Amino acid sequence: MAELMPPDTRRCTYFFLYDGSKVRGEGDPTRQGICYFYPEETPLDKQELMCGQLAGVSRCVSELSSSPVHTLRLRRCKFAIHMMEDFFWALGCSTEVPTVSVCELLDHLINIFCFYNGPIRQSYQLNSKETLAAQWARYLSHVQSGPSEIYNIFRCLRTVDSTTVDPLLLLKAALILQACQRCPLVLTGCILFRGRVVSTQMSPQLTMKVMVQESETYTKSQRSNGASTSCSLGAPVSSTAVFLTTSELQYLQSTPVNKNVSPFSPPLLDAPPKKTRLSRTLSDTPSTESEPPRLQTPQKLSFSPHMSESDDSFSPAPSQSSADSPNTSPQPTRSPLPNGGHAVETEHKLSHHHGFKSNGGSSVFEENQCLNGDDVNGDAARRAVFDLQGDDSGNEQSRDAQMVVGDSGVCFRKAESKHPPPPFTCALDSLEESPLIPKMLYMHRVNGLVLALLVEHGFMSDAASMEEVYHSSLASLNGLEAHLRSIAAATPGTSGQYTFAHYDCIQSTLTTNVSGRSGGAPEHPFVRATSLLHSHFCDTETLQEAIIRNAGVAVYGTRSVAQVTYFQQHSGSLRNSGIPNQQDSAFSLPSKARHRLLKHGVNLL
Amino acid sequence: MKCLLIASESAEVLFHWTDLEYQRNIQEQYGASQEEGEELPAFEDILSTLFAPIIISYSTMEDSYTSFTTDNNHIYVLHQFDECLYIAVNGDGEEKEDDLRRKMYVMKKMIEVMFGMVTLSGTLLRKELRPQDTEQRIRLWKHLQNLIETYSHLRENDQSFLVEAVERLIHPMLCEQCIEFLERRLVQQLNSSVERAGEEVLHAFILVHTKLLAFYSSRNASILTTSDLLALIIMAQNMYPSNVDLDDQSPEVTSMAEDSLHALEISPPDPSTPRRVFLDISLKDGLYPMMPHSMYCLPLWPGITLVLLTKIPTSAVALSVYKYLEDFDKLEKRLREGQGSSAAARSPLNMQDVRCKLDKFVKALGPSELQVLEFKNRAFAKNGPGFNKDLIPWCKKMKTQLCGIYRQCFLIDSTDFPQRLSPGLQEGAQAMMQEKLMDWKDFLLVKSKRNITMVSYPRNFPGLVHFICVDRSSGQMIAPSLSITERTTSELGKGPVARFIKSKVWGLVRTTRRYLQKGYSTVTLRDGDFYFCYFLWFENESGYKLDSVDIPVLPDDSPPIGTLACDYYKLLRYYSKNHKGETVKCYELLTVHLGVIPTEIILQHCRQLASKLWEPSRNPLL
Repeated sequence: MAELMPPDTRRCTYFFLYDGSKVRGEGDPTRQGICYFYPEETPLDKQELMCGQLAGVSRCVSELSSSPVHTLRLRRCKFAIHMMEDFFWALGCSTEVPTVSVCELLDHLINIFCFYNGPIRQSYQLNSKETLAAQWARYLSHVQSGPSEIYNIFRCLRTVDSTTVDPLLLLKAALILQACQRCPLVLTGCILFRGRVVSTQMSPQLTMKVMVQESETYTKSQRSNGASTSCSLGAPVSSTAVFLTTSELQYLQSTPVNKNVSPFSPPLLDAPPKKTRLSRTLSDTPSTESEPPRLQTPQKLSFSPHMSESDDSFSPAPSQSSADSPNTSPQPTRSPLPNGGHAVETEHKLSHHHGFKSNGGSSVFEENQCLNGDDVNGDAARRAVFDLQGDDSGNEQSRDAQMVVGDSGVCFRKAESKHPPPPFTCALDSLEESPLIPKMLYMHRVNGLVLALLVEHGFMSDAASMEEVYHSSLASLNGLEAHLRSIAAATPGTSGQYTFAHYDCIQSTLTTNVSGRSGGAPEHPFVRATSLLHSHFCDTETLQEAIIRNAGVAVYGTRSVAQVTYFQQHSGSLRNSGIPNQQDSAFSLPSKARHRLLKHGVNLL
Repeated sequence: MKCLLIASESAEVLFHWTDLEYQRNIQEQYGASQEEGEELPAFEDILSTLFAPIIISYSTMEDSYTSFTTDNNHIYVLHQFDECLYIAVNGDGEEKEDDLRRKMYVMKKMIEVMFGMVTLSGTLLRKELRPQDTEQRIRLWKHLQNLIETYSHLRENDQSFLVEAVERLIHPMLCEQCIEFLERRLVQQLNSSVERAGEEVLHAFILVHTKLLAFYSSRNASILTTSDLLALIIMAQNMYPSNVDLDDQSPEVTSMAEDSLHALEISPPDPSTPRRVFLDISLKDGLYPMMPHSMYCLPLWPGITLVLLTKIPTSAVALSVYKYLEDFDKLEKRLREGQGSSAAARSPLNMQDVRCKLDKFVKALGPSELQVLEFKNRAFAKNGPGFNKDLIPWCKKMKTQLCGIYRQCFLIDSTDFPQRLSPGLQEGAQAMMQEKLMDWKDFLLVKSKRNITMVSYPRNFPGLVHFICVDRSSGQMIAPSLSITERTTSELGKGPVARFIKSKVWGLVRTTRRYLQKGYSTVTLRDGDFYFCYFLWFENESGYKLDSVDIPVLPDDSPPIGTLACDYYKLLRYYSKNHKGETVKCYELLTVHLGVIPTEIILQHCRQLASKLWEPSRNPLL
């Protein structure tokens, strides 16, 4: 992530997942049921105490009330609880964080997990506790990455600053996404830049999930590339299997008009798509993306239409890539699913990378199969798992499949066998979990910029489509990246005059000048008041406006259907008796907020 | 779907109250796990079984539970007072977390008023709350259950119990006459009678429903705290649930009241037997909590009651017991801190003094009551262990014994020796008061329902819908009547509109308390079609407005903001003091305006109300 979070804004004090089904007998130690516990350095007996007691007492309460426990509070900590079958999640935060925010955060965490790993019970049947613990740790650190404590209150999409970015660039990003959608296998997409959204066609919730993977690959690419851009691999294309809920899928399949949730709606978004290739469309616009001044990346490729027509020259094949895999020692084993009855590869962390290699314009097909350094036995069924040309529904197991674009050329590798994989349904595990539909997340990274597309499985095996999307967007992405990179990452600092936070509930975006710098101490009174007001707004549907004041601080909160704004004025002495008084500066906050926030693009009129 | 449970650490039920719905729910829960044909055990045993895991887990946790909520919006609130764990549950959405916490604290307050310092010993309190004798237990629990129901009813319907301040009947002339009558005629006559059996009337007051018509305290009486006065009003209401109320109530409340009447039939109390109540008094040398008094509730007419509070002749014993309890408490604390020799060197000196006084006390009490010998041997013997940590259990033992003596003196004797104002004397007082108020009776009953009316609002305060003003120093409140019953109609009319306003006012009080708890003393809200304001400020004795101060930010599980259970405002007044000895007054104002009124006008109204309400001559509403 671009910004590092100061340690004291850590919003979560505890997070654990406990599987009660592992602790059935009298003699079963509680630790057997602990799937993940944060902070990981907590002594095991304390972990056992927390899991055992909280899960036990919650079970008792939910039996008494015939309903699962939703929140649980201790004197110094409040927990959001989620109970599903034998699984018990608890997320504990400081008592100052609004309860509603803690509950949202826990739901968000579980949703992220299911997005990348599928149904929970099944994930734990297919994978080791340790593997999944690493996933939880990763998601948890991602959701806690907000730069200041105000992010503990609002779960938001961070976007590029619309006031500093040329609207034309946003339009361009939207056009790239639209162009990608011409491929029928592409469902939807978003463009991200260094942990911030440039443009998205997805719902905010879905975009947030996609961003987990983005920040992961970003950190990885930063780590592997170091600071230099002179790496040989250049812009990597990767893909990973993801799982959508039925409602998310329905949303995606609804009319495109309703789907437009771009944080900054470009005025021309609804313009009819031109028949021309995207690359050409963009080069027609008077921008400099074809020869960006700061584009130093060696993988600069000149894309010509003929490249994308040479579909037949591509064939995918799994390649050796264990070094890049973040997951340790995957051990392909076959475990019969008790519910499904058919064997599925349990190891989904096998990653295979595909290198695009071109040799003087013509592609060379390399066939190279390696399962993360493991030897390959001749099991056809297993090989089928990695078959990128299998049918649409069959390829979800190759979750971390990555395609790497090399600077020297393009090459797809291809698996030999094309056995159709067994039909796969994700709802097989439980009736309680809502069914999850497997899709693929395709990501094309150009330095800090990522094009993320949700695609059908067929896309990954359809070399023609893939190449089409890749080539049609690459030049534009390069251009966009260069432009965005040149814009200074200026977060609005505290102006000294006032503090504000403006949350757009529809787009889930937060505009604020709370910086979190210098420990956030001077901003704490504002955050504390905002936290209280936020809880109040959530509780009381009819509440539109509130002013609260103590001896030192007066904070104004106002909301409409789509947005909620909090404002505090610093100047002027608040000292008075507290008796009603028209001259009291607290009551001029609404008009001050209206005037001051206009320049931040917040219209309260 | 409501429940309040008091349990010991070993999950023994010390008291429970449930409404019918919750009881049915619990029985179904339990029945489901039972084999068919099996008879259900006693309800308290079912509760104990079902709640045991929660109670045991509670004591296992380092940082204890304060609340749970479930997906179907059931709320559980837990709090431990000494050795008793209170659990309050709501499953119908009518109460929020803070209501449940308040209910627990009020319950604890009522138990303190009823059992006094016995509550300081966990062992004794357990025995007291859960008498061995089943019939006695049923009777006690029924009484406590009725108290909760009476309290809940008042909190939900009576503005003075909403904000926990006493409401006076506003009729200065009659009020003055009554006070004079109480002072010159009634109390004087009672206190000079030979039939008073050594008791002395300290306070006398007249209640019209829950409103105070007149209050008189004798010269040598200590001030009655608002908390105690509110508790006494609950007890009086519980004894004589006004018939007028019954007519007005919605059907469910009626059945509740009938239920309590039914309870009275089970154990018909001798009306002339006073209730033993334990109230806080402040003497020159400090505050003494839970000092024994007798409370006489003399019904004048349905809805109008004369209450007398007397000092009992043996109350000096309670003072001594409290002092010794404090001494042993201090000693125990010191031993526990284990400050080593320096503290030990100081403490024997103090203890020698305590020892002498204790000896005298024991002598005065008579033999066999207090076993101090063993403690003395351990503490003072030359070659004994002296003052070290080993003495802690003996301190505890002494404290329990002291509480035992207190119990013997003030909780048991009343049945053996009917120590009281003679029935004749009581009847005399009743008749005197009836004669005095005979002509006012009907007026008072109507007035109590329409204490302040909204008639003058539209002219002076256009757009003002409702307000409540509270003087926290005197514990009194002023608010227009908010009667929403079928029989009486307020200016708001009756039916849904009035009910809606009422729910908004109740919600506003809850909201502002929440902000106050977190340190915010001014709140304005635009909510739906209304604009709400809340102000809290301090004045000195001469009415000068003091600068606002930083109000403490309290944790979520702190005692509820109010006066009945714990006086939060006393704490606040302390905080706002600039120098010692300064008297600080604290006021609160809540207003409800129509949302269309400009904010400047609203603030102007608030300003006017705030400055004029407490000056009767200028009060435009009287």
